[in-house]
Amino acid sequence: MSQLIRPLLKIENLRTYFYARSKQSFVRAVDGVSLEVGQRETVGVVGESGSGKSIAAMSVMGLISAGPGVIGGQIYFSSPRVQRNLLDGLGNYVKIKEENSRVMEVRKDRAGWQKASDKLMGDLRGREIAMIFQNPRASLNPFITIGEQITESIRLHTGLKSVKEAKERAIYWLEQVKIDSPRLRFNAYPSAMSGGMCQRAMIAMALSSEPALLIADEPTTGLDATIQSKIVDLIEELKSETGISTLLISHDISVISRLSDRVAVMYGGAVVEYGPSKLLLDMGEATKHPYTAALLASVPSEQKIRDRANLQTIEGDVLDTINVPSGCRFYARCNKVTPEIKEKCISQHPELREVSPGHQMRCWRY
Amino acid sequence: MLYVAYGLFIVTLVLVSYVLGAFDLLPYDPQQINMELMMAPPASEGHVFGTDFMGRDIQSRLIMGIQAYFLPGLLAISISLTGGIILGVLSGYWGGRIETVITYLNNLVDSFPRLVLILLVIAAFKPDIYYIMVVMGITGVPTVATAIANKIRFLIQKSFIEAAIALGLRTQTIILKHILWYNCRALLIIQATLGMGEAILLETSLSYLGFGVQEPVPSWGNMVQSGANYFLQGNFWPSTAPALAILLTILGFNLLGDGLNNILEDRRGK
Repeated sequence: MSQLIRPLLKIENLRTYFYARSKQSFVRAVDGVSLEVGQRETVGVVGESGSGKSIAAMSVMGLISAGPGVIGGQIYFSSPRVQRNLLDGLGNYVKIKEENSRVMEVRKDRAGWQKASDKLMGDLRGREIAMIFQNPRASLNPFITIGEQITESIRLHTGLKSVKEAKERAIYWLEQVKIDSPRLRFNAYPSAMSGGMCQRAMIAMALSSEPALLIADEPTTGLDATIQSKIVDLIEELKSETGISTLLISHDISVISRLSDRVAVMYGGAVVEYGPSKLLLDMGEATKHPYTAALLASVPSEQKIRDRANLQTIEGDVLDTINVPSGCRFYARCNKVTPEIKEKCISQHPELREVSPGHQMRCWRY
Repeated sequence: MLYVAYGLFIVTLVLVSYVLGAFDLLPYDPQQINMELMMAPPASEGHVFGTDFMGRDIQSRLIMGIQAYFLPGLLAISISLTGGIILGVLSGYWGGRIETVITYLNNLVDSFPRLVLILLVIAAFKPDIYYIMVVMGITGVPTVATAIANKIRFLIQKSFIEAAIALGLRTQTIILKHILWYNCRALLIIQATLGMGEAILLETSLSYLGFGVQEPVPSWGNMVQSGANYFLQGNFWPSTAPALAILLTILGFNLLGDGLNNILEDRRGK
């Protein structure tokens, strides 16, 4: 296979668990997630709070600090400069005891894992994979001017080692993210800027090293609605200019639908549907996972507002990821269960299967 | 700002006096006894602050007295800051078992009265100001370590540390630059200036008990102590002058530390 056809990021069966309070059981935050981000492609990950989307992204960056953390899976990263499995050989640090394909006990040498993971990630973080976070103001060091923070990143990751050149480059990037009077803002402290401007500065910092992959973890959360749409505009524009691949995480379907080429819908730590964004997010009654359909039905649209229709809610609570049911995880809240498949829904966890080319789903109905 | 100016003035005065003392540029020899001029009151001819019960010039002795504190005080501060930073970073940044061990160590040192420990050391070795200051430095470590560890724990909750890791910065850059230099320097300055004040106060207490710097070498503590015998006879100046010096110097150091803290904290608000 040629290098370019290979997807930039390929996550296979990623599992990230945390100890529940008792330490006897686990919170299965990410439980067998497989995802692909192709070259120059944007993949949106959507799901409600607690569905494991942010944890999946943090696992890719190797930023999980709570125990036991990532316990299994493969993450293949192949940019023109680096081809590597980000979890290569890390399985040696984990011993898992399973009963009926349920993890009962994990023994993990976390220090060894962290060391090996940092070694694998060391030259990738910031250089090949950049990340932007929600709550931009807290993500910038409050005592350092934004210009200096961007300059630091540029000097670390690009060939520009002289302070002067790096500074010019930082100002160029501040211009690129449309911060007005960038020369003036260069010397501003984060507290002197609005949340939207801080997020622009974060984006400038992330893109200044010209990474192959950008992970945007809820980039618009915590911002005001008008600023949100401007940030989305900005990301859209920068994407088309730089051709950067993006893994976009959000619970906001409108953000996802505007930016993504493909969408993965997550529920209870697993991807329940994965396919082209046009197919998944159109309002028509195409083949859809019941959860995706329910999510879409809960989004206000012009039509619904005109009809003064009540917004549809998804009954029930977020999945208890400690006591995961053995059957379909969405069963308790699903409104599409038919008598014929009910038995299967209760007892067996559906596999992620291809229902049409490039469109995968975890549901017994299809 | 006025406070900072005052603090800066006092600290400068202390520094200048230290240099004067170190090069022996004093109006009189601080140890020279002059029986003809015992207990000369302040502002008498040639003696601005008067003389003590042996006719020694109080001004010269005050200036010389700083010698007893300055380097030993710095030693104590550097020991407690270095130890405190190392233990604080270990416990705050990595936590886990290291944190537990450090907490127990801190409790152990904290539970032992400092003065008792110092008296023990004096009994075991000799009443030397450097021994005293080493003990003071070591017993000051837990305070600094706890302050640093708490600050780091607070900072780690903010996502900029995580963002810095995601940006690919090396751990030592994050700890030294982003945590210690930019976010803890105000705290360290406060600790250093408080430490200096505390060193002076400790030496005074010990001198008053007779364990500090030994006569005839002058220190503010033993000057207060020897002058106190004559206080009730109406000769207040031999003990009042060093007492005021102690008061003003500690105040000066604290005001400077506080002021610098405010200035550094303000920078992000501008």
